[in-house]
Amino acid sequence: MSQLTIPVERHSLDNGLKIVLSQDRTVPVVAVNLWYGVGSRNETTGKTGFAHLFEHMMFQGSAHVPKNKHFELIERAGGTLNASTWYDRTNYFETVPSHELELALWLESDRMGWMVEAMDQEKLDNQRDVVKNEKRQRYDNQPYGDWDERLQALVYPEAHPYHHSVIGSMEDIDAATLDDVASFFKTFYVPNNAVVTITGDFERDAALQLLDKYFGEIEPGQPIPPLPGDLRIHPLIGETVREHVLADVPLPRVVMAFRIPPYSSDDFAVAEVSRALLGMGRASRLYRRLVRERRVAKGVVTFAFPLLTGASMLLAWATGYPGASPEELEAALAEELEGLAEAEVHEVERAIALTESDLVRGLERVSQRADLLSMFELYFDDPNRLNTELDRLRAVTVDEIRAFAKERLGPDNRAVLTYEPKGEA
Amino acid sequence: MSPLDRSRQPKSGSIRKFDFPDVERRTLSNGLDLRVCKLSRLPVVSTNLFFRAGESQLVESRAGLAVLTGDALEGGTQKRSGTELAEALEGIGARLGVTTGWEGTSVSMSCLTDRLEQALTLLAEAVLEPAFPEDEVDRAREQQLAAIRQRAMDPAALASMEASRRYFVAGIPYARPQDGSEESIAPVKRELLSDYAESCYRPEGGGLIVAGDLDPDEIEIMANHRLAAWTGAPPAVEDFQVDPVTRERRVWVVHREGSVQSEVRIGHVGTDRATPDYFSLSVGNLLFGGSFTSRLNLNLREENGFTYGIRSRFGFRSRPGPFSVSTSVGTDVTAPAVGEIVKELVQLVEGGPTEEEVAAARDYAAGVFGLQLETAGQIASRISQLVVYGLPDDYYHTYRDRLRAVTTDEVAAAMSVHIRPQEVQVVVVGDAGEIVAPLESLDLGPVEVVSAP
Repeated sequence: MSQLTIPVERHSLDNGLKIVLSQDRTVPVVAVNLWYGVGSRNETTGKTGFAHLFEHMMFQGSAHVPKNKHFELIERAGGTLNASTWYDRTNYFETVPSHELELALWLESDRMGWMVEAMDQEKLDNQRDVVKNEKRQRYDNQPYGDWDERLQALVYPEAHPYHHSVIGSMEDIDAATLDDVASFFKTFYVPNNAVVTITGDFERDAALQLLDKYFGEIEPGQPIPPLPGDLRIHPLIGETVREHVLADVPLPRVVMAFRIPPYSSDDFAVAEVSRALLGMGRASRLYRRLVRERRVAKGVVTFAFPLLTGASMLLAWATGYPGASPEELEAALAEELEGLAEAEVHEVERAIALTESDLVRGLERVSQRADLLSMFELYFDDPNRLNTELDRLRAVTVDEIRAFAKERLGPDNRAVLTYEPKGEA
Repeated sequence: MSPLDRSRQPKSGSIRKFDFPDVERRTLSNGLDLRVCKLSRLPVVSTNLFFRAGESQLVESRAGLAVLTGDALEGGTQKRSGTELAEALEGIGARLGVTTGWEGTSVSMSCLTDRLEQALTLLAEAVLEPAFPEDEVDRAREQQLAAIRQRAMDPAALASMEASRRYFVAGIPYARPQDGSEESIAPVKRELLSDYAESCYRPEGGGLIVAGDLDPDEIEIMANHRLAAWTGAPPAVEDFQVDPVTRERRVWVVHREGSVQSEVRIGHVGTDRATPDYFSLSVGNLLFGGSFTSRLNLNLREENGFTYGIRSRFGFRSRPGPFSVSTSVGTDVTAPAVGEIVKELVQLVEGGPTEEEVAAARDYAAGVFGLQLETAGQIASRISQLVVYGLPDDYYHTYRDRLRAVTTDEVAAAMSVHIRPQEVQVVVVGDAGEIVAPLESLDLGPVEVVSAP
């Protein structure tokens, strides 16, 4: 695979809505994908978890679409849909047979323009319950389920907007009111804070006309308020910070996180390749050393969070065998992470080859293409960046990886979260 | 002033016809069924090698052996260590994965098209010449034992395991977890794995599926070159009869101290993949609990706020698999949630679905089928299903038409045969102290608290 050549066309409407089109007529399927520039980082004190609760409310109907109709019509059309909330953004997406493009645009535009009119207390109470169930099911009743909450609090200072998790606190969720819904909508769910991407099987001119027809009359909002809190953050944590959790978990697990440059930085590609070198695939360094050779871990996971605000996070975790000492597991994980400072060229090549083919395979789906294009438009004002992703990865050198390891993966930049099974201490 | 009337739902455009892509079928010199689907999309290819080394062909004392053998394939070959095998694959950006199920073992691989020849060589080497070195086998076994232990503390996994035990009569494979138990896995040594692979990793009854931008003739040559020496059939196995444990409705509570949420499974023995009711049941399940706008989800989530989500499902296997409703609900609403689910089951069977519900579910199923044919991997795994379940070659070409032909009466009839609310086993993993009394007052049947296995 020498070069990606995904076609990309950009437009915008007078109200500030950004548009990205990318045609591919192989299969009669079209994806509609919206990214709003709002996420958990925009939440103020006492309102944590609200961006996610709001995402749920976006499915409760809008002025011209009754509750549940959105799901009903898309499913009836043979489509799929969902949404997700993250630190920096919230996305909404449908994939439908291509003759149903207009339906998806109608539904998305109606909630972008006229969602608040359809809100009432009963819907809010209902979705509050649903979100609390989600929190209990995925965080509280799930072994290790609360790791991201705990880790964010360790890695980011209290005043930083990444200090709290996307799911937020249940007290804050309980305190949310209909007025909060209305004001959040008015502040953030405005065309000048959104991107619409269409990918797949569509007629270009017809799609542009439909976008104008459905989204054109939505009033623009005010400029988006600056992020709350104190955004200043040192590139390094400065020490090893730790939390030890005795919990109802089956096996010991050590989760380590490091501050790394933000996604917008040119250095992020180095972190991405490092992450793959360390933990992607069975020939990765951590799998080979910890799982296969030393056999101190049952499994390893690494991840580089693509976050925008000040500092992002690189994460590595190792799950030990029954009865293993968390201290030994931590020492082994630290040693192998630091060993990245002696990474070899063939390891870098493997990491790049694998990252590359995973990226290309992801692009087989129009929905994935749309999601990436929306992201690059919203984050970088440059959806074409998708076509140069491979170049950025390939440009990463072994020297950069080694320098990254020395600078970022040492004990002066480390958050350690340890889960120890109850009753085995 | 806008001329646009927003309250009017837009009309659909004109449908672009789309068929399941053509599949070329060949037979390799060793008898293996080769199916190639030529796609002119991105330069990626997905392959799937399936053979009949499955968990349902094992006796209980060997439960989990097929899974362990499949996982231990990454331990290396006669020519390469495990790490060397992984490096060779990943160095060319290829992904190899082994999935072992009830019916057999499936080795799937995906790579960029220009790497297929190298990747196929490695795939064949991994399956035909596994070395099962002792230390790698030990590791794979310890990992599987740890996973078995991990499952016992994960309420969702625990609930599913308990449900299988309560739905299916003891001793048959479906009553147990696919990866076995501590007793069956702990004593396994490398010899057992190599003997198992030697006897059961055989091409007869299996198939090789390839989807991507390639020429079937070339694939045939490539595959023959690498697989011709691989011959024979796995040993014949005794069939088993799938029976329920009981036809009496019962409630089983697995106590988990301090649980903030209850995991719920409600169901019984369902039916097999070959059932003539397959399409009616698929449509019926969508409207009952297989979609967001299903009866169960609208009731339990959108009306009552009891749960984050709820699903029902028929597990169609070569023999009758489970019909099961699964959800996770707050501790305090466990009994009302169970009551609502049973009520919905009764209403479905007694009242049947409406014309409108059936029409919506049919449209959803027929439409979404096309959405699931975007990637080479999706297409390869669809074609694999034809091999696994012995379905006719034109199956997917008539698939949508058969879905669209399903009538409301057929759905009603099929659901009332295959769903029997009076026979369901209700399994709840949660805090017994909080939920037993309210569950008893539902009066569904005897409530028994059992300890986790």
